[in-house]
Amino acid sequence: MILRLAFASLSARALTVGMTILAIALSVALFLGVEKIRTGAKASFADTISGTDLIVGARSGSVQLLLYSVFRIGNATNNMTWESYQDLAARPEVDWIVPISLGDSHRQFRVMGTTTAFFERYKYRSGQSLSVAGGAIMDDLFDAVIGADVAATLGYEVGAPIVVAHGLASFTEHKDQPFRVSGILEKTGTPVDRTVIVSLEAIEAIHVDWRNGAQIPGQSTSADAIRQMTLEPQAVTAALIGTQSRLQVFGLQRAINEYPQEPLLAILPGVALQELWQIVSIAETALIGVSGMVVVTALIGMMATIFSSLNERRREMAIFRAMGARPRAVLGLLVLEAVLMAAIGAALGLALLYAGLFIGQPLIDSAFGLWLPIEPPTLREVWVLLGVVTAGAIVSMVPAYRAYRMSLADGMMVRT
Amino acid sequence: MKTLHVLVFSAVAATSAAAEDKRQLGAHEHGVGQLDIAFEGQQVAMEFHAPGADIVGFEYAPESAEDRAKVDDAVATLARPMNLFVLPAAAGCSVVQATAGLEAEADHEDGHGHDEHGHDDHGHDDHGHEDHADETTHTEFHAEYLLTCADTSAVDTITFAYFETFPNALEVEVQVISDAGATSFEVERDAPTLDLRGLF
Repeated sequence: MILRLAFASLSARALTVGMTILAIALSVALFLGVEKIRTGAKASFADTISGTDLIVGARSGSVQLLLYSVFRIGNATNNMTWESYQDLAARPEVDWIVPISLGDSHRQFRVMGTTTAFFERYKYRSGQSLSVAGGAIMDDLFDAVIGADVAATLGYEVGAPIVVAHGLASFTEHKDQPFRVSGILEKTGTPVDRTVIVSLEAIEAIHVDWRNGAQIPGQSTSADAIRQMTLEPQAVTAALIGTQSRLQVFGLQRAINEYPQEPLLAILPGVALQELWQIVSIAETALIGVSGMVVVTALIGMMATIFSSLNERRREMAIFRAMGARPRAVLGLLVLEAVLMAAIGAALGLALLYAGLFIGQPLIDSAFGLWLPIEPPTLREVWVLLGVVTAGAIVSMVPAYRAYRMSLADGMMVRT
Repeated sequence: MKTLHVLVFSAVAATSAAAEDKRQLGAHEHGVGQLDIAFEGQQVAMEFHAPGADIVGFEYAPESAEDRAKVDDAVATLARPMNLFVLPAAAGCSVVQATAGLEAEADHEDGHGHDEHGHDDHGHDDHGHEDHADETTHTEFHAEYLLTCADTSAVDTITFAYFETFPNALEVEVQVISDAGATSFEVERDAPTLDLRGLF
């Protein structure tokens, strides 16, 4: 009976009620959306590297090393010499070591020099390996394997020629040594998607005729001549290491950090990632706080509309009372209306969130490389929704209590 | 606390400019120990580092018989890991190998880079060092343990009785490697237990 009344009363004021519900829905969608992006970003970062025990690079900060070696964010302070790299590779604890050489680019994408071991050893999303969608892993010196996003954005297919630019934002291109796309990788949701992978020797090869960052005028070695040369890199940017046994990881890390010939830094990817979260957590908390306040604002807005509706419903309330409704019934009616509004708002907010996810998912993925999974609401989200409805009920108590006390006398009195 | 490490390096870099030889000095923070734990199969390897100040209360080379006795005591205590880092009985762990010792991180010629104490008023960096060689020596206790456990997955908590044994210790930075990857924790005197659930 009361429920029917509440529905009828809400639909009679469809416009104001609709606005209130919309405000609640938007705030709920924002709050849940922030939560989704936060957890999505964390999961996406954590999924980017697995199975690697240590990352080694020039001595800088552990977060910085992690960012430039794995996420291609920022740049290395220094390189690591090839001698040190080989020293490390020869250590008995080292099961495998994969070099990474960064610094050149192709259009907006980074070029990474490495060995074919990268394709076996690099693991993402708890142990998944890279797989080739088309073509094959590089075979020739001038072969390049490109990530899924590179292929999609630039429209490359297997066999397409590509030219690597010197540096990251430069117009000098290594035009004399064009590469050929030998393979395209499956989409991984990691920075590999946005990387052009060539062999470590190829990075040296494109610099054969270059000295001090510029091409030697008039000198151009033919591709075949370069193939004949022995190309040994001077330095690598970083290296991924897997150990024989997990028990040796800390010992090896200590040895590398105290390596006397060159200042090197070895990090545990998981620990560095945790340090990164510690840095980011302040911003995260602020974001959650702000979106929480938006929900509170929407609820207070609802309270305000109930308050103002009391005025126009003075007669209605008085008639209910005159017909024999108890004050408690009036209170119940108002609270029920508020709960209905909050519940519809919360449900609509959830619907908005999923609609937004469906539309935004590919856009966010291509713009930020962040894959937000579309999953059923988590327990935490269900609690948030219940919390909004409960808060709506509590907030409505204030105007409802006023109506409870005043409904009869107030409505019967003739005011001018 | 992280900035302190940077301080150490920059202090070293500034003073070593004149010298040809390579110099580096590890970070050293009083009150803070470091424990690395690696789980693999039934084996648990631990490596522990703590500043001498935390363990025996001084960092000069032991001079008196009393000092020497203190150090020997501490080394003997550190060689019994099960009393310091208490693993759940359900895991059925036993010590295979335990070594402990004292190592000095001395830098006599220079005696620089000691602002990591936060005792700037001592003015370590400014005054002549030759006659203060002992004062500018840092000592670190170092221990390595190898345990075997019947069931490593039962190691869901580690209780740090270490803090009761050594009243000067305030914090231990813990790094753990397990099947789930590597993570780090900070265990402090106020809450001396390490929660490892979710790592297995």
